[in-house]
Amino acid sequence: MTQHLYGIMAEFKTPEALSEAIKATKRAGFTKLDAFSPFPLADIAKELDCRTSAIPWIALTAALLGAGVQYGAQYWMNVIDYPLNVGGRPLHSWPTFIPSTLIVAILWAGAATLLGLLLILRLPRLHHPVFAVPGFKRASEDRFFLCILSGDPLFEASAARSFLETLSPEAVQEVPACG
Amino acid sequence: MNSDAQAVTSPVAEVPLSRRFGVVWWAALAVSGALVLLLGYTLLSVSILGVGVWGVNIPFVWGFDLINYAWWIGIANGASLFAAILVLRRHDLRTAVNRFSEGVALFAVICAGIFPIFHLGRPWLFYWTFPYPATFQVWPQFRSTLTWDFWAISTHVIVTSLLWYVGLIPDLATLRDRARRRTSQQIYGILALGWRGSVRHWAYHQRAYRLVAILVLPLILIMQSTVAFEFAVTLVPDWHETRQPLHFVATGLAQGLSIVLLVAVLLRWGLRLRRYIDEGDIDLLGRLVLASSLVSGYLYLDEFVSALLADRMAQEATLSRMSGDYAGLYWTAIVYSIVIPQLFWFRAARQSTIAGVFVGLSIGVGIWFDRFSIIVGGLQIDYLPSIWRTYSPTLLETGLFLGTIGLFSTLLLLFARFLPVVSMFETRHDEHREKSS
Repeated sequence: MTQHLYGIMAEFKTPEALSEAIKATKRAGFTKLDAFSPFPLADIAKELDCRTSAIPWIALTAALLGAGVQYGAQYWMNVIDYPLNVGGRPLHSWPTFIPSTLIVAILWAGAATLLGLLLILRLPRLHHPVFAVPGFKRASEDRFFLCILSGDPLFEASAARSFLETLSPEAVQEVPACG
Repeated sequence: MNSDAQAVTSPVAEVPLSRRFGVVWWAALAVSGALVLLLGYTLLSVSILGVGVWGVNIPFVWGFDLINYAWWIGIANGASLFAAILVLRRHDLRTAVNRFSEGVALFAVICAGIFPIFHLGRPWLFYWTFPYPATFQVWPQFRSTLTWDFWAISTHVIVTSLLWYVGLIPDLATLRDRARRRTSQQIYGILALGWRGSVRHWAYHQRAYRLVAILVLPLILIMQSTVAFEFAVTLVPDWHETRQPLHFVATGLAQGLSIVLLVAVLLRWGLRLRRYIDEGDIDLLGRLVLASSLVSGYLYLDEFVSALLADRMAQEATLSRMSGDYAGLYWTAIVYSIVIPQLFWFRAARQSTIAGVFVGLSIGVGIWFDRFSIIVGGLQIDYLPSIWRTYSPTLLETGLFLGTIGLFSTLLLLFARFLPVVSMFETRHDEHREKSS
């Protein structure tokens, strides 16, 4: 039956309970976990080995690319392709090329970071197995959920269920997989 | 069923989800909507008849149009800067005012963008400022401040709206889950993009949000300076000054803060959000407004002293702005943006709703007169005495300005009606931290 399950989910009342449960679950050897909460929990993200270092790299790369493209475009257009002599001023008047270069670097970095964020999170995704769990709505309000995913090598539905029940949760529920 | 945490943010979420919203809101929307119609009318007339319907003529090629542009962009930049600083300082105040500072910034930059586009005379050709391979094989002149402005405004619109929306996603998910009616569930559901509150998602979300908030800081400073460069790089004696960027940045911040204060006070009163925007928040905002108006005052003084030291032409131009035909504008600016905010030395004034509205509006009005004084008063004395004349706006220009105020308040009213004006997830986060510490 495991192929029809996304995982087994336990519901907790407080972030502290969730944090304890995650530690216990990791001690029990489970590795494929996900947690859901109504506000950011930095400690739990660390516990789940979530590394966000891709974000600044996206921003830096996009900023350098954007700046390069903008400066290069200005140079090529105003110096090479369409040189216009205004009162004998130098064609490559770099100080005047700086403001829009900086602005466009920020434009690329900002847009790439926020669109890249959605790409990393695989959003938009309007349908997801966890939404089928009764009471999951309160994950956006005041409840905390821990899910052992069925992809875990140790996963076995009834064992995972009875394990989660030992962590004194509010409820333990199966998350059916879609399709 | 209601637990503590649910009770914490319920009132904020209930606002967008309630069916009724009271007569005051509808009345305000009707007035703003009428002004938006006026905006449509004035924009249509200038598109059909040309910029001749405005009072602008050499040397006043900018007139009301750029006054209002510089004014709106100041509000946008001031509000954005404030929001970014709050996020970076992880200040408690950010929970209360960050969301609508970003909203104010976004709506103000939309209003600002209208002016330079219609100022072109043929607004439908505005895309000529973008370097695209045109059949007539001409490229934009990148040495012109106007092309910098094109990039600055479009960047501000794109980055602020993305930042605002990404920050809203988790709260949209809360609204989706709380909505009772099918249509609002669907609308908020689609807008929430399927946010499910995974702890991993939160970690990425927070990192990206903070990083882009950092990026907004230099953007705002460059952008507000770009507006000032449009004056500083000309040869007009009163404008050709290196102090212009500083003047625009400092007065713009005062203006942005005053509008944030105004909106905060109104929302607090109108939506009964006293618990989320508490007395400490309002007090701190009041102090910031006072401090920024003192900085503006210092810069006015600097303007006067550097005029005394300047060459004869620049000196005459600046002093004529203070004592000539348009001296009234200059002194009105001083009274409204520097003198009246001194009320905020008193704690009682900072706490009072009426004083908050009064000072917030007063700085907004004051800086508007300052822009008027620079753009029109600054052109009184130029190197060619033959162009020494005066300017006054036509009815259509005034209508256009009132129209953008209507557009701004319409957007603000819709925002207050349909979206959570205070970040709900930040509020939960703060409550949790307070409890655990």
